[in-house]
Amino acid sequence: MSSEAYQPPTGGASYGSGATGNATAVEGPSMRYICSDCANKFSIKKNDPIRCTECGGRVLYKERTKRMVQFEAR
Amino acid sequence: MGPKKIVFGEDGEDATMHDVPPSNQAAVTDDAAAVAQEDREEDMLDPQAEHEEEEEEEEQRVKLLPGSSATAASFEFEKEGHTLGNALRYIIMKNPDVEFCAYAIPHPSEDKMNIRIQTYEGTTAIEALEKGLKDLQDLCDVVADKFWTARDSFAGTATA
Amino acid sequence: MPRHEQTMAFFVKPSAAELERRKIVGINKETVTDVTSTDFPGHYPGEDNSWDLEAFSQGFNVKFHNNSQFDASFSLIGLDASIANAFRRILIAEIPTLAIENVFIENNTSVIQDEVLSHRLGLIPFKGDKEGLLHFLKWFKKPPPGADPYANCFDFNTVQLELSVECTKKEGVDPNKEDDPAKLYNHANVYAKDIVFTPMGQQEEYFTPPRQPIAPVNPDILIAKMRPGQEIRLSMHMHKGVGSDHSKFSPVATASYRLLPTIEIIKPILGADAENFQQCFPKGVIGIERVTAEEAAREGSGYEGHKGEKKAVVVDTMRDTVSRECLRHKEFEGKVRLGRRRDHFIFSIESTGQWDSDELFLEAVKTLKVKCNKLEKQVVNMVR
Repeated sequence: MSSEAYQPPTGGASYGSGATGNATAVEGPSMRYICSDCANKFSIKKNDPIRCTECGGRVLYKERTKRMVQFEAR
Repeated sequence: MGPKKIVFGEDGEDATMHDVPPSNQAAVTDDAAAVAQEDREEDMLDPQAEHEEEEEEEEQRVKLLPGSSATAASFEFEKEGHTLGNALRYIIMKNPDVEFCAYAIPHPSEDKMNIRIQTYEGTTAIEALEKGLKDLQDLCDVVADKFWTARDSFAGTATA
Repeated sequence: MPRHEQTMAFFVKPSAAELERRKIVGINKETVTDVTSTDFPGHYPGEDNSWDLEAFSQGFNVKFHNNSQFDASFSLIGLDASIANAFRRILIAEIPTLAIENVFIENNTSVIQDEVLSHRLGLIPFKGDKEGLLHFLKWFKKPPPGADPYANCFDFNTVQLELSVECTKKEGVDPNKEDDPAKLYNHANVYAKDIVFTPMGQQEEYFTPPRQPIAPVNPDILIAKMRPGQEIRLSMHMHKGVGSDHSKFSPVATASYRLLPTIEIIKPILGADAENFQQCFPKGVIGIERVTAEEAAREGSGYEGHKGEKKAVVVDTMRDTVSRECLRHKEFEGKVRLGRRRDHFIFSIESTGQWDSDELFLEAVKTLKVKCNKLEKQVVNMVR
């Protein structure tokens, strides 16, 4: 099994910008990132450079889950 | 989300305020302080709170430990600690009919307090325990009364 | 004849001096003496030391030193340590307050972790209308694990709060000239005052102006720091609780007592010694006076021939910290006796703001009484 055969988890596709389950084969899944420098939010696909589309910053964060998380204030 | 789930004024399962009880402050009334404490007393003598209090049947927290006789007994108090243990020990020891009284917390990770009472002939350990609890309540009344008067007269001197 | 007088006839009554002596806990250079109370029946032969409400009432006294919302100080005189300690323990652990208990985080991109943020939020003291806090709000019964987290949440046991802040760059501020983040960005610091309270249902009656809404006691508590692009969006549920469960519920910052110190000058301390002696204590404890002609004339007073000289006198033992410094110096040996009054408790209560400090003490007394009352019923029930 070569490294090219790696299939990214399809569960993440719902976070992609307009990437649906069917479109995966054509466009590839995309992931939302946030630039650590300029706070720009954008998506990156499989072969895109790991850089901010606005400022070119290379330090990117993944977005936090959109689910509510409950904590005890203790 | 939270806000929508809070139900207003519905008859939900309500935990009673067993620690915020009806007032004992009625006994505290003092002529000079009567006006100042009027609003407070109204707060404390909430008849509704008292009502709810009585409806909730409480679990039995006091137990007579095995091996006791009439004049020598050990009691187990659940969910009590040094706070009540030492105060109760003191007031029971003040009873001249009591030969011996001591309390212990057998294990720190168990929320239990044991109290041992041995009395002379003529009374029982249970009676001594009851008297101790009664005396402690009388003491509280005196403390609250004197505290109230002292505070109000201090407030008078502070503003004058 | 009342019972009280009747019994008096049969018992030995100790002298006032003896009673006074029994009240003192001795403090020596390296040791303490007479630590435990001895006022129990049977301890002193022939004496009556049994519980007597009338006698207690006569001997018990309260003296206020200071009474403000956040700090009350007063003396309880004529009480046993076991009772005073019960009040202190109740103040810390058994008087209920309202505090943040659950945090529902929608988004938190700040550098402070969710659980740390939640913990910090829980520790913030809140205030609100007394009537509402004491009587309208009831205990919350925690739903069993796995149940809907919002189960059992009603307007009379849950207070909902909201914190929603986003850090952005401020317009028209030059980052090359300004380096204070608070001036460069909006919401660089998240404070307790950013927490928003929204009254639900009946809470509207109790917690809307002119009645006091639920709000942090200290609006300037720093909760988190943020930089542009970061956001905190969460809601919180407050419930009632007690300090024995978690210290965030404790209504006091501190509640403590100390015994009144005593200083007894047995032999005169004169001249330069008097000034050195004064230096052994905090300011205001020891005063300097001149030996009067009358004192100097009195045989065996120790002042003979010292007329006009300086002498040390005890002014205010309340200010003493009982450092025992004076016992370290040879020149004061045998001239001074230190101690503490066994039955004089100087209480200090510092409220966190939800209650008033003096009100807290009354609540503690009430709590002890109610506790005894309930247990009395339980004892009766046990026998049945």
